[in-house]
Amino acid sequence: MENSNWIFQLLGRLHPLLVHFPIGLLVVALCFELFTLRGKRPGLRQGINWMVFFGAASACVAALFGWLLRTQENYSGDLVDNHQYAGIATAVFALATALVLRNTLKKQSADLRAYRFMLFATVIATTIAGHLGANLTHGEDYLWEILPNHKTVNNGATSSVLLTELGTTDSLSALQQDKLSLEVRGLFAHKCYQCHSENKQKGALILATKEGVFKGGESGLAIVPGKPEQSELFRRITLPANHKEVMPTKGKLLNDREIALVKLWIQKGAHWSDEKVKIFPEALLALQKIKLPISNQAHPVDKLVDDYFQKHNIEWPVIVDDPTFIRRAYLDIIGLLPEPEAIHQFENDKNPNKRDALIDSLLGDHRNYTQHWLSFWNDLLRNDYSGPGFITGGRKQISGWLYKSLMTNKTYDKMVKELISPVEGSEGFIKGIEWRGVVNASQRTEMQAAQNIGQSLMGVNVKCASCHNSFVSNLTLEQAYGFAAIFAEKPLELNRCDIPIGKIATADFLYPELGIVKGETIAKRLLNLSDIMVQEENGRLYRTITNRFWHRLLGKGIIEPLDEMDSPAWDDALMDWLASDFIAANMDLKHLIKRIMSSKTYQLPAVSYKKIEDTKTDYVFRGPLVRRLSAEQFSDAISQIISPLYPAVAFNPEGEKTKAKRVWHKEVSFNRTVLPEPGKRYFRKSFNIKNKKITNAKILISVDHAYSLFMNGKKIAEGRDWTQVDKLEVSNYLKPGKNTIAVEGENEGTIGNPAGVLFSMKVLYQSGETLEINSDETWKSTDLLPDENWTTNSFKDDSWKAVKNYGTQNWGTLPDFSFKNHDGKFARASLVKQHPFMKTLGRPSREIVTTSREVQATLLQALELTNGAFFNNVLEKGAIKWLEAYKNEPEKLVDQLYQKTLGRSPSPAEKNILMNTLGDAPQKEQLQDIFWSVFILPEFQFIN
Amino acid sequence: MQAQNSRRDFIKKMTAASIAASATTLPMAGFLSSCSPSIAKIAASADTVILLWMAGGMAHTETFDPKAFVPFEKRLDMKRVLSTFPKKPTVVDGLEFSEGLQSIGSVMDKGAIIRSYKAADLGHILHTRHQYHWHTCYEPPQSVQAPHIGAWIAKELGPANPVIPPFIAMGQRFTMGESEELKAFHSAGFLGTEYGPFLIPDPAGGLESVRPPQGMSLKRFEARYKLYKTLANKHKIMEQGSDYQRESLMRSMEQSYRLLNSPEAKVFDLSQEPKEVYDTYNTGRFGLGCLMAKRLAMNGGRFISVSTEYEPFIGWDTHDNGHARVKKMKALIDRPVAQLIKDLDETGHLDRTLVILATEFSRDAVMEGRPEEQVKDQVSRQPDVIDNEKHYGMHRHFTDGSSILMWGGGIKKGLVYGKTADERPCTSIENTVVIDQVHQSIYHALGIPPQTHYEIEGRPFYTTPDGHGKPILDLFGKSLT
Repeated sequence: MENSNWIFQLLGRLHPLLVHFPIGLLVVALCFELFTLRGKRPGLRQGINWMVFFGAASACVAALFGWLLRTQENYSGDLVDNHQYAGIATAVFALATALVLRNTLKKQSADLRAYRFMLFATVIATTIAGHLGANLTHGEDYLWEILPNHKTVNNGATSSVLLTELGTTDSLSALQQDKLSLEVRGLFAHKCYQCHSENKQKGALILATKEGVFKGGESGLAIVPGKPEQSELFRRITLPANHKEVMPTKGKLLNDREIALVKLWIQKGAHWSDEKVKIFPEALLALQKIKLPISNQAHPVDKLVDDYFQKHNIEWPVIVDDPTFIRRAYLDIIGLLPEPEAIHQFENDKNPNKRDALIDSLLGDHRNYTQHWLSFWNDLLRNDYSGPGFITGGRKQISGWLYKSLMTNKTYDKMVKELISPVEGSEGFIKGIEWRGVVNASQRTEMQAAQNIGQSLMGVNVKCASCHNSFVSNLTLEQAYGFAAIFAEKPLELNRCDIPIGKIATADFLYPELGIVKGETIAKRLLNLSDIMVQEENGRLYRTITNRFWHRLLGKGIIEPLDEMDSPAWDDALMDWLASDFIAANMDLKHLIKRIMSSKTYQLPAVSYKKIEDTKTDYVFRGPLVRRLSAEQFSDAISQIISPLYPAVAFNPEGEKTKAKRVWHKEVSFNRTVLPEPGKRYFRKSFNIKNKKITNAKILISVDHAYSLFMNGKKIAEGRDWTQVDKLEVSNYLKPGKNTIAVEGENEGTIGNPAGVLFSMKVLYQSGETLEINSDETWKSTDLLPDENWTTNSFKDDSWKAVKNYGTQNWGTLPDFSFKNHDGKFARASLVKQHPFMKTLGRPSREIVTTSREVQATLLQALELTNGAFFNNVLEKGAIKWLEAYKNEPEKLVDQLYQKTLGRSPSPAEKNILMNTLGDAPQKEQLQDIFWSVFILPEFQFIN
Repeated sequence: MQAQNSRRDFIKKMTAASIAASATTLPMAGFLSSCSPSIAKIAASADTVILLWMAGGMAHTETFDPKAFVPFEKRLDMKRVLSTFPKKPTVVDGLEFSEGLQSIGSVMDKGAIIRSYKAADLGHILHTRHQYHWHTCYEPPQSVQAPHIGAWIAKELGPANPVIPPFIAMGQRFTMGESEELKAFHSAGFLGTEYGPFLIPDPAGGLESVRPPQGMSLKRFEARYKLYKTLANKHKIMEQGSDYQRESLMRSMEQSYRLLNSPEAKVFDLSQEPKEVYDTYNTGRFGLGCLMAKRLAMNGGRFISVSTEYEPFIGWDTHDNGHARVKKMKALIDRPVAQLIKDLDETGHLDRTLVILATEFSRDAVMEGRPEEQVKDQVSRQPDVIDNEKHYGMHRHFTDGSSILMWGGGIKKGLVYGKTADERPCTSIENTVVIDQVHQSIYHALGIPPQTHYEIEGRPFYTTPDGHGKPILDLFGKSLT
């Protein structure tokens, strides 16, 4: 079979050549026939006759060969059918015409009318068959696409569309060839690059480049153009699933359609288009101009959502009540709970615009707004007070700059400009984190800058492309390096999967259509880049931040994932209108918050979902998601309601600086300082008091873990809680001449752990002179139990050693360690160093950009809340405080607790339970347990 | 006897555990799409892993791979010194350990030694970077947070006993130098905190971590939980349609209540051990960690690590006084490690428990880094010819050869795998082993397929980089002796 087939195949393939004979001969015959009308030019007659005879014969042969081609090479489809019928008709007509002509000639009749009519019909048939044939070879669009108003259907051409379109043709137009090639390359990218690209060359095969594809791999030629059956690649993708040589080995096998596409591509000669493969959808950089739909709704956001709701057949639910709204508004703008009085006032406020007014007044609370939103920005810009990298100086905070930016409500474009082209204090963002030693090329600090700007600000994943051409976007290695090169001092050589490839990157922004980054120095380039990035044409920048704010306030972005802004929005118009509105308002972040929060849309009831998956696939917006209090919100709420959770901050934007240092006995093992062992240590410091009248002498002291304080031999104070700053007035104990402070400190625990004395004394003479004594390296200490008189002036401490300054790392800064009066403010969680309690509740360690936190509760969280010593201690402290405040009023206590915690009074049933638990003579244990139970309630932990 | 009974109990509970685990591993499931199910499962030879971590860089030539011994003397040329201890025989013919490790030597017929581990070349040494690499199999920094091997195992296998956290890390505090870097890898990374380590810095106080808060009686603890449940059910919110967030909260509270209220919490109570057993183990925190690891392994622990603790220049990180300090470190580990193996063996648990002893890299007296890639010296005060005993020892960081010990869980008994050169530089010269092989060998023993991965930010993230690691199959199989 095989042997004889080739002849038929060859003859079949002569069809495209042969068809030109009947077309040419018959059409010219008809033309000449027209010239002979009315007996003119009789000389042409003989020629016309031969043309018709040969035309008819060639038409028959062409039709026959066409039929061969079709049956030998499996063409099918309507187009082929129609072409076939037209072809056969042509042959039949041509034959008939030839016979009629012959008969007419034989009869020597001069009546050519029948023949002429036949010839005319034949030429019509030829034209139809020819046109259909041309459609087959050049594409159905071939003729029409050059017309002025023609729309191409190139966009969204899936492989199946392509298959039906091209599968029926024998030779393809250049355009079709390119299309087919790109489709197949896209398929390779999705299915094969993982193992067969420049990055990874399994079996020495690369399918990402033209050379690679046609060079083949260890198993020989991957592609034999025109011959799928001889192509190794085709053989491997068509093997049964359990065959050991089947490809791909990772992921799903190709489906029939995909296989057919590859086959077609090889059959058609495996053309390689040099065009860049854009296989992933890309969002437009510019914002669309959105006209607000006509709607009954007043608020622009609601107008857009109304339109969306109509399309999805959703009725507007009733917006939430005042207590729910005020809780949301407080938590979203300042991160704190509304006090009962505030709720009460708000409920009774008759102002119809009271919700807008509340938003305004909360946004006006700059300090609390800043200390709440700081966490959002710290996550986004991966800024933290501690973490890897600081130890070797490879990292810099931007806390001061960020705090100030939020306090002054710096416009977003200005913030971006300063992050990219740093001003004092904002250098840390593009500096990245530098680890000691050799790091992977894709983690050099220049690349980190590119990745972080990409992710945080532009919502594009540069991480993948910084190692190899991305598998999840159209970004290439070259683009990623080009972006990184902007931040590089020296020329940057491209590394593919950490191996240099001998190419130097050309500095270029990811989106060159916005502008070309120029400049010899980094500073110039950064300035240039920052200008390019913040221009309004870069709608993507503003869309990204707008979407993040929406996510933050409603629990889910308009576009998800938040860091992949090429993904589809659930409503494009809403997305781009909001972003445009943000730009129109001069990139004012508070405007954006107000715009969203003042809408009915924000004020819809929270929507419950059974499974987290239900919020991911086929998501339809119906209202905000139920949100959980963040680690910071939860911590601050506890501090607010019962007792400060954190005594100290890592970043102290407003407080004064103390000269006192936290000191302890220097503990040494094998010549190395080690953590202080448990046990008692003794400290001394002598000083001189002038013989002058003293107005006052104040002491601040905090010791980890416990202390007794002596002044000139007399014990004047003791304490066992370093988080508590003890404040003393000691002028009575001072005398002119030498005075001595002595501290007996104790480190608790079973193993070595941080310990330290923090002490400050300020003596004010009537003359106005002052004396300040602070704990520092001039203090002396010993670990041996000294003689009884060790606290007195006369004791000789020559054998004692200088203390060691243990820094603030383990304790942070106590805001209360101040001679000024403390106004009851507590350390906001956003200013506190990462702490195990917050970590467990989901505060990320900010080594990498984090744009959404875990939302579900975990066992470790539950364990921490249930028996963590840290939380338990705070509950205990709080219980003691509350019992004092509401000594004989258990009912009021219960009511206040519910008001402060849940913003409502307990129901009679709840009250009953709580009162029973408290009993007649409330003890701290019972109250502690009530606190615990209420703080764990879903009603408390969720923002509904 | 009691162990027998409780064992049966645990098997029952484990069945319940797997059901519970499937219900509780939800958190990140929607976010991560595992591609593992399509990969055929492999048969497991171990259910539990104990990692005994020698933090700070333990010199192979001073411990499990001794070379020529040169005693201390005045005017000693340190270039001549390969080991500062004499060799001692072990129970395995031809296998010798350095003096001070005879107890561990006596249980080597129950396990194997890899003598050819080669650490990554990360340039200018930072211990925590190598430790990060050892524990996650990825070189830091990474653009996504890499999970600790214990977190991978917790994620893939879940708890063996529903009330014992599947990943427990003992012995390390996070309050000193490089603590932030230590935290960076004591993490479940992108797998989510659910799979993160349950930290017990001081095993002696292990019970504190799992018993109701101090001062709270069991009765009060139960009453408190009941109060919470009653209040929670009183409110209308709980009557509204189910919600994954509220449910995950209620469920996790329920679980923690069960753990804290369960008799298994006693597993964490070392005072339950007879005094002589306690004393045998008690060489310090590390020894007690081994004792706790034993108790956990016998009662459904999944991944348990015990660290000698890393603190810069302390422990195995001998920048000076190497000889004297290594002597102390050996005394710290020798008895409890050997006892742990014996106890697990005698109770039959060693068959299904894989015990590993390892360190981030080795040390040398002369070379910093490795022969082809020497790096910035960090021990500059080290003279070549020494008079002072504090200079006698392996004070530089050496990354080209180191030992790993393994017992149980299907590991060949009495096997010596790979070797290092007998002359300086004492590099790996046969069957060199790198980290992804170590990880895949552990996963292999646990039946976790080598291609296990999750998609994170569009990137398939494998247990070993690109899924390339191959288990060392030679380690597994029937005993050699």
